[in-house]
Amino acid sequence: MRLPVGTASLVALLLLFALAPLAVLLGRAFTGHQALAAVASADALLALRGTVATSLGAALWAFSLGVPLSLLVTRTDLAFAPAVRALCTLPSAIPPFIWAMGWIALANPKAGLLNLWWGPGTVDVYGALGIAFVLGTAGLPLVFLPTAAALSRIDSSLEEAARMLGAGPARALLTITLPLALPAALSGTALVFLFSASAFGVPYLLGVTATPPTPTLTTRIFGEVLMGAGGLERAAGLSLLLLALAIAVLLLSRWLSRAGRVRLSSGKGLALRPLPLGRARWPLSALALALVVALVLLPLFAVFLTSVEPVWGQLEGLTFAHWSHVLSSPRTLDAACRSLVLATAAGGLVAFLGLTIALTRRRWLETLADAPYAVPGTVLALGLLVAFSRDLRLVVADRFALVLALGNTLWMLLVAYVVKHLAFGVRNASDGLAQLDPSLEEAARVLGATRGRALYDAVLPQLKAPLTTAFILAFLASMTELTLSVLLVPTGRDVLGTLIFELQSYADPNSAAVVACAFVAVVLAVLGASSALGPKEAR
Amino acid sequence: MAAVELQGIFKRYGTTPVVKGLSLSIASGELVALLGPSGCGKTTTLRMIAGLERPDAGRLSIDGEAVDGPGLHVPPERRGLSMVFQSYAVFPHRSVFDNVAYPLELQRVPAPERKARVLEALAWVRLGGLEGRMPQALSGGQLQRVAIARALVARPKVLLLDEPLSNLDARLREELRGELAALRARLKTTMIFVTHDQAEALALADRVAVMNGGVVEQLDTPQALYQRPATPFVASFVGGATVLSGVAKDGHFHVAGVALLLPSTLAAEGEGTLVLRPEDVRVFQGGAPLPLSARLFVGSAAEYRFALGETVLRALGPPDAKGLPGDAVPVSLERALFFPSKLV
Repeated sequence: MRLPVGTASLVALLLLFALAPLAVLLGRAFTGHQALAAVASADALLALRGTVATSLGAALWAFSLGVPLSLLVTRTDLAFAPAVRALCTLPSAIPPFIWAMGWIALANPKAGLLNLWWGPGTVDVYGALGIAFVLGTAGLPLVFLPTAAALSRIDSSLEEAARMLGAGPARALLTITLPLALPAALSGTALVFLFSASAFGVPYLLGVTATPPTPTLTTRIFGEVLMGAGGLERAAGLSLLLLALAIAVLLLSRWLSRAGRVRLSSGKGLALRPLPLGRARWPLSALALALVVALVLLPLFAVFLTSVEPVWGQLEGLTFAHWSHVLSSPRTLDAACRSLVLATAAGGLVAFLGLTIALTRRRWLETLADAPYAVPGTVLALGLLVAFSRDLRLVVADRFALVLALGNTLWMLLVAYVVKHLAFGVRNASDGLAQLDPSLEEAARVLGATRGRALYDAVLPQLKAPLTTAFILAFLASMTELTLSVLLVPTGRDVLGTLIFELQSYADPNSAAVVACAFVAVVLAVLGASSALGPKEAR
Repeated sequence: MAAVELQGIFKRYGTTPVVKGLSLSIASGELVALLGPSGCGKTTTLRMIAGLERPDAGRLSIDGEAVDGPGLHVPPERRGLSMVFQSYAVFPHRSVFDNVAYPLELQRVPAPERKARVLEALAWVRLGGLEGRMPQALSGGQLQRVAIARALVARPKVLLLDEPLSNLDARLREELRGELAALRARLKTTMIFVTHDQAEALALADRVAVMNGGVVEQLDTPQALYQRPATPFVASFVGGATVLSGVAKDGHFHVAGVALLLPSTLAAEGEGTLVLRPEDVRVFQGGAPLPLSARLFVGSAAEYRFALGETVLRALGPPDAKGLPGDAVPVSLERALFFPSKLV
C-alpha cells in the first residue's frame, strides 16, 4: 500500500509518540526480571484488589445514582429538572482530584466540616469506600448523559403501546423504556470503571494516607517511579496489569453500547408526555435537588471555604490572606503561565492534528489516534518516561544527527497532553466532516479551486465549530491535568496540576484550595463563554 | 348500546384548536373509519378515545361507561381498548412471542393458557412459526402483523388503528386490508381506524366519518357518502369531484364566464356550489364547448381537464376519442349536486 507523504508523516508521528512508548514499556515489562517479579508480588495483588474494588464501587455508585436521576429528569414532571440536569453534568468538567479535596474538607475524620457539625469521626472519606464514593460522583455524567440521551431517543409509541395493552405508567416505564435504555447505562457504567481505574489524584489523596492504606495500581506505579531505576522496571510490570484491565473493560463497554444500538428505533410521532409523579412530585423533586446539591455544590463550597480559612479546619476569622498570598507568589504565577502556554499549544495541536488525520479519511488512522485516550494516563506517562528518558539520536548518513532530547523537559508534557487528548480533535473533526455535504468541496473544485483552496474556502469554514470544541476540550483537560503531569513534570518546574497536588498532599491545603477555586472559575468561565458563543456558530 | 360515544369534544394544542365540538357514536361490532386530510384532527380524536390525550371539554364513554368528562379521565390502561400504531411500536427488546404475550402477562394469565392464546393470535395473522424471532429480523408487513396480534390477543372491547397500512407498499397493503376484514368478520371486534386514503376507508369500513377542520362533516355508509355527500368537502374528498362556486339561473350554472346546462332533474337557483363527479360529466355528447387544457390516458378511460377560472373541471371520457389541448370540446352534465350558499 502506498501512502501520500502527508499521511505517512502523520503515521510516523503517531508511531513515534503514541505507539512506540507503549511498545517500549511492554518490552520492559516482559523482559525485566524485577518487572515480572513485581507483577507476581503480594503488593501488586493488593494494589490490583484496591483498583478493582474502588472502581467497582465507583461504577455501582454512579449507576445507582445516574439511572434514577436520568429517568426522573427526562421522563417525569420533576420540578427543577434543568437544574438537576446541569448539576449532574458538571462533575465531568472539573478534575476529579478537586472533588477529593472538597470531600477531604467535608469529611476528614478530625477536621472535616461535617464532622465539626455532627461530632468528630462521624464520617470518614479516607479509604476504599471514600475513593469509590468520590470517583463515582465524579463519573456520574458518564452514566447520566448517555442514559438520558437514550431515554429521549426511544420511540414514544412504544410506551404508549404498553399503556394501551394494559400497563400502568410506572409499569410501562419499567418494562419497556428502562430495558431499552439499559445498554447505554451499562456501557456508561463500564466507562466509570475505566475512568476510576485510571484515576490517580483521588486514590492518592484518599488512599495513601488512609489507615490502613488503600493502594491502587496507579498510586503504586507512582510510588515505584519515585524509587528510581529498579522501581521503573517494577512500575512497568504493574502498568501491564492496569493496561490489561483497561482493555478488558473497554471491550466490554464497546460490546454493551453496540448491543444497545440495534434496539433504539428513531423517535417519531409526538413527543413523549412526561410521567406525572402526582403526590410524590414535590418530595421527589426536593430529594433529587438536595442530592445533587449535596454531591456537587457542597464539595465545591467546601473547597472555597477552605481557601478562606485562616488555618486548615478552623472556621473563625475567615480571611482572604491565602488568596493574596497564592495569587501573588511567583511559584503560582510561573506554574499558571506554564500551564496556560502548554494547554494552548496542546489545544491547537490537537485541533490541527485531529483535522489532518480526519481529512485523510482513513478509519484505521483515526482509530490509532483515538486509542491513547483510553490508555490509563499513568501507563501512557510511564511509556513516555521509559522511551524518552534518554536522548534519541537519529544518525543520517554518518554526518547529521537528529537529537530528540525530551527527557525532563516541558516538551515531554506537551507530547503527553497532545497524545492523550488527540481523540478530542479526531472525533470532533471526523464527526464534523461526516456531517458535511461532500458536494460543497466538489462545487469549489468544479468552479476552479485547487484541492487546498477548496479545503480552505469550502470545508474549513464549516468545521469551525467542531474544531473550536476540540480546542476547548483539549485546552481544559490539559490545563487541569494531573495524572500525566505528576510523572513527567521536569524537576522544579511545576504546572498547575502538580502545584495543587503538592500543596494539598504535603504542605498547605488552604493554598491548594485557592488554586482549585481558580481552576473551577476558569473552567466555568470557558464553558460559559463557549456555550454562549455556541448558538451563534450554528446560525 | 354504543361501543364508543363522543359528545361535544374539544381539544387544543397550545392555542391551536384541533378538535372543535366533535360528536360521534359508534355501535358495537362496527368498523368505522375516520377519514380526512392531514391536520383535520382524526389522529387526535383516535388518541383521545385511547386515553392518550385528554379532551379539554366534552364527554367520552366506552360501552356506556364514562371515561372522560368534567373531572374524569380514565388512563389508557384501564379502558379495555387496544391500539395498533402507525410505527407498529413492536417492542424491540422482546421476541415476537414476548411481544404478543405482554398484555396477557399484565393480566396475570397463567403460563400454559398464555402460550396457547399467543400462538392462536399469531395464527390469526399468519405468523405461526415466527414466535422466536426478534423484531429486527422481521419485515414491515410482519411487524404490522405482530402489532395486530398483540392488540387482539387480550380481546379488547375496541381496536383502534392509526394509519395501519400507510407504511406498507401497495401490494402488502392490499393483502393486509383483506386480512383485517377477515379477522374482523371472525372476531367481531369493534374497530376504529384512521386513514387519509379514501379508497381504504370506503373498502373496509361499515361507516366512514369524514373529518375536516376538527369536526365530522358526515358520518355515513360508503355508498351514502358517495351518492349523497352532505357537504361540498365530502363530495370532493370522497368522490374526487370538481367543486365550482357560481350562480345558478334558469337551468344554467354560471361560472368563470361559462354557462353550463344543468341536468333537468336538478333544482338549483341562486348563488351556490356545484359538485361534479368526473364520471357524471360527458364529453363529445353535446353541450357547451370548452377549451380542453389536458387529456390524460388512464387505461380504461381518459381524463379530460378543462380550466374554469382557478378550478379544474375533470371529466371521464372514452380513451380513444380525439382532442388536443386547445381544442373546443363539448361538455354536458349527466348528474350534479347543488349546495346553495347559506341564506343571510
